[in-house]
Amino acid sequence: MSATTRPPDKPEKRSWTLFLRERAMESLPPEKLLADRQPSYVSSWIYVFGVLSLASLVVIILSGMILTLKGPAWWHFTGLGLFFNSIHLWAVELFFFVMVVHLWGKYWMASWRGGRVPTWITGAVTFLIAIPCALTGYVSQQNFDSQWISTQAKDAMNAAGIGSFFNLMNFGQMYSYHVLLLPVAVVALVIAHILLVRKTGVVPPFELSDSSGTAEPASGPAQ
Amino acid sequence: MAAAFNLNHPAHVVQWHFFTMSVSNLIVIFVMIVVFVLAIALPFPSHGKQEVES
Repeated sequence: MSATTRPPDKPEKRSWTLFLRERAMESLPPEKLLADRQPSYVSSWIYVFGVLSLASLVVIILSGMILTLKGPAWWHFTGLGLFFNSIHLWAVELFFFVMVVHLWGKYWMASWRGGRVPTWITGAVTFLIAIPCALTGYVSQQNFDSQWISTQAKDAMNAAGIGSFFNLMNFGQMYSYHVLLLPVAVVALVIAHILLVRKTGVVPPFELSDSSGTAEPASGPAQ
Repeated sequence: MAAAFNLNHPAHVVQWHFFTMSVSNLIVIFVMIVVFVLAIALPFPSHGKQEVES
């Protein structure tokens, strides 16, 4: 095999790492990825609930990791275990509470405007996946409450036709879903959601939109 | 120490035709609506930070 010289008009062969780097820098330059200034319209309480959801998720993940390391006997029968069990539960309750308010706020300001449909979709899918993530947690408690919930909810799963592969009476399966598969999906979607918000900017309120209804500024918070 | 609320009873439930929901769930939904309205209505504290005019 002999070495050949590339014709001058033919572009240099590009590696996938170069392609990925150029795309990433184009979509999310550092001043957008880690912006230090925000649009003036963000100064409203309704814009706080996204980051509150994120803060709740961080507490959920951290307390969940501690519970996973220590096990059911610890979280049921020791003072510190009960404390972290409660932290985990109430962080989940708070997560859903603020996520619903965040969802309402974004729905009523039509936050899919201005090329933000992927941001809206990743947020909505995150909400949908968080529901079975919580359900599998309730049935993983290892107490009478979890037995009650699993025996009640299995009928709903069977009625939906998914009971054969999503068996709420199978603790091992539910625990795997709860501590690995669904949290990974939620965290991955949340990361994508945040990167999309950084890319397209926070959606402006209606009065700042142009008459065509396509909300701008498209430059987002970093400009 | 006695619990602040006595939970040692079946949940109170609101039923209206096909609609069935526990009172605790209804309270949470009501509080979410109140928080949503307050988040829109209450002024946001300003710290004189540099902001971008859009």
